Amino acid sequence: MEVTIFPAMNTLAKLQILSGAARYDASCASSGSRREGAPPGGTGNTSQSGICHSWSDDGRCISLLKLLLSNDCRYDCAYCVNRSSNQVPRASFTAREVVDLTLEFYRRNYIEGLFLSSAVMQSPDQTMERMVRVVETLRVEERFGGYIHLKIIPGSSSELVRKAGFYADRISVNMELPSQASLQRLAPQKEKAAILEPMALIGREIQESLVERKKIRSAPRFAPSGQSTQMIIGASPETDFQILRLSQGLYKKMNLKRVYYSAYVPVSDDNRLPVIASPPLLREHRLYQADWLLRFYGFTAEEILSDDAPHLDESFDPKTAWALRHPEFFPVEINRADYGTLLRVPGIGVTSAKRIVAARRFSLITPEGMKKIGVVVKRAKYFITCSGRPFEQSLHQPAQIRQQLLLGEGSGEVKLPRQLVLPGLYA
Amino acid sequence: MVKYLCDGTSDGTLSAIGLILQEHSDPGLVTLSEREDTLFEEGMFIATDPLKAEDLFSRLKEKAPDAARTLYFFMLAEQEGMANSLLHYIEQALQHGDKVNGYLTHPAVRDIVTVSRKAARELHRMKGLLRFEKLRDGAYLAQMEPDHNIIQPLAYHFSRRLRAQHWFLYDRKRRTASSWNKGELRFGTIEQFTTPALSEDEKEVQAMWQAFFKTIAIPDRKNPRLQKSNMPMKYWKYLTEKQGE
Ligand code: SF4
Repeated sequence: MEVTIFPAMNTLAKLQILSGAARYDASCASSGSRREGAPPGGTGNTSQSGICHSWSDDGRCISLLKLLLSNDCRYDCAYCVNRSSNQVPRASFTAREVVDLTLEFYRRNYIEGLFLSSAVMQSPDQTMERMVRVVETLRVEERFGGYIHLKIIPGSSSELVRKAGFYADRISVNMELPSQASLQRLAPQKEKAAILEPMALIGREIQESLVERKKIRSAPRFAPSGQSTQMIIGASPETDFQILRLSQGLYKKMNLKRVYYSAYVPVSDDNRLPVIASPPLLREHRLYQADWLLRFYGFTAEEILSDDAPHLDESFDPKTAWALRHPEFFPVEINRADYGTLLRVPGIGVTSAKRIVAARRFSLITPEGMKKIGVVVKRAKYFITCSGRPFEQSLHQPAQIRQQLLLGEGSGEVKLPRQLVLPGLYA
Repeated sequence: MVKYLCDGTSDGTLSAIGLILQEHSDPGLVTLSEREDTLFEEGMFIATDPLKAEDLFSRLKEKAPDAARTLYFFMLAEQEGMANSLLHYIEQALQHGDKVNGYLTHPAVRDIVTVSRKAARELHRMKGLLRFEKLRDGAYLAQMEPDHNIIQPLAYHFSRRLRAQHWFLYDRKRRTASSWNKGELRFGTIEQFTTPALSEDEKEVQAMWQAFFKTIAIPDRKNPRLQKSNMPMKYWKYLTEKQGE
């Protein structure tokens, strides 16, 4: 006898439609939340450092069951496959289906948890309410302690936003496009206020809950893994400089954990959209690199770009490009420079800088020593000295270094696309 | 140079190290190796004394908790022929405390830290890559063949996570097993293993996961090389999503 726990239209067909529609969502991080053990009688906890459960055929980490609750959208955003004017198969899950899929997958260790987003069904509130019902069932009825990332539908009531933050580890409101003007042009049914207001509300609630929990440990958590957002790159005319400044503001003023960038995949021939042959993956990649400089390397957007040079260099990563513009900063002496200065050397990342600082407590680091502690100097060698000795025969002209770097890399060949590395996983 | 031998088990190696560090004021002049079955043994054999081993481990834990963690993961790697490196690593750790792990220009420190990191990395990987299958009696079983002997910390991880279900882990390579049922974690060995029958709905759930796995990849961005470097093929054997591809 065939036993089936999933009823017809089958959940499998829906799963294919609704995970396919979610695949361009870049965020898959599951880190930064610590729920130590599973709740009594329940299932699931979260891991501080994030866990990848598989890697899909495009090489990206799979950590969460990424789904839309529905792709049946009332809105008509020009850049989106799910826009109402587009002819695609439509489907919507019931709350129970999503709950069961999450639990069955979690019990077999396929996933860290659930990432749930949705198209706008009847209204923002009606949609948001159904999404909240899914997580409420998971947390309350099923005592599910795994990771949950919930998208906020722009325009939903603050009551629902609060409820979402109460159950989820992370919540996010998508920026979608990097400016009000573009939003108006390409997503006329969404208002900037409808995006920024919940963001600010979430920021405040997170802050308050942190303060409360310092006083009383059992005070309720609010989105303990913070808030993130995503914007589409290349569907509208903003420069990289504008985009980076926007991200910088979001990190500083709204306390965001992460901004995700998603290269625009041409999905329609709407004449409001640029005609491009393929998604701007290199640009997306460079933006992620620049974003890392903002978050982990102590750079500001204004150091990386300017009004005169508002776009990221295609042939060099943003740190190398910065170094080439600032010959006066180099060479950096490995044995003396502080951590922050080491981080500014092209080719030296967080791990390498930490290893250098840890090793030189014991003895001066020699060029051979760099190898021993596992620091690759392929790129860094043009920018450092070791106990006063240069690594590379005095290449002090930026032009020469530029030449050398390009040659060393098979002239501008850039590896693409890179796996989105989860912060904290390897650091 | 003073040469010592030990039996090469973890207790044997650690008790020898404990004794050497106690007796010698300059352990830099001492070497330690595992006894091999040759006629001409060079060096003095130190007999295994589990108490001494435990003693050393708790001393290390107190003086350098990070180094004790490193030692724990190093032991999971079941590496042979590294007794001497271990001796000098522990000597350095007791001297410098936790910052010892940054002393990578020291050959012994680098040897131990490198091996230990590998074991820790595999443990982290398996936390994600382990796959459970539901059996006919409702229990769940996960099989694996890891390079390192990680079943203990792995089982501990799942005892915090999958608390509400009855499960087994089985390391096919070492024939060791672990089980969790109603709050009790156990370890043992299984000499005769026969794969039990799956629950009737198991294939259905697996098909869902396989479908999800296929759909979530962006078609224009296929990148098998990146996939394999993140998820080496040696782990595919038990990955549900890689069956019947
Ligand atoms: S509201 Fe969301 S799903 Fe609907 S068309 Fe706009 S972007 Fe697409």
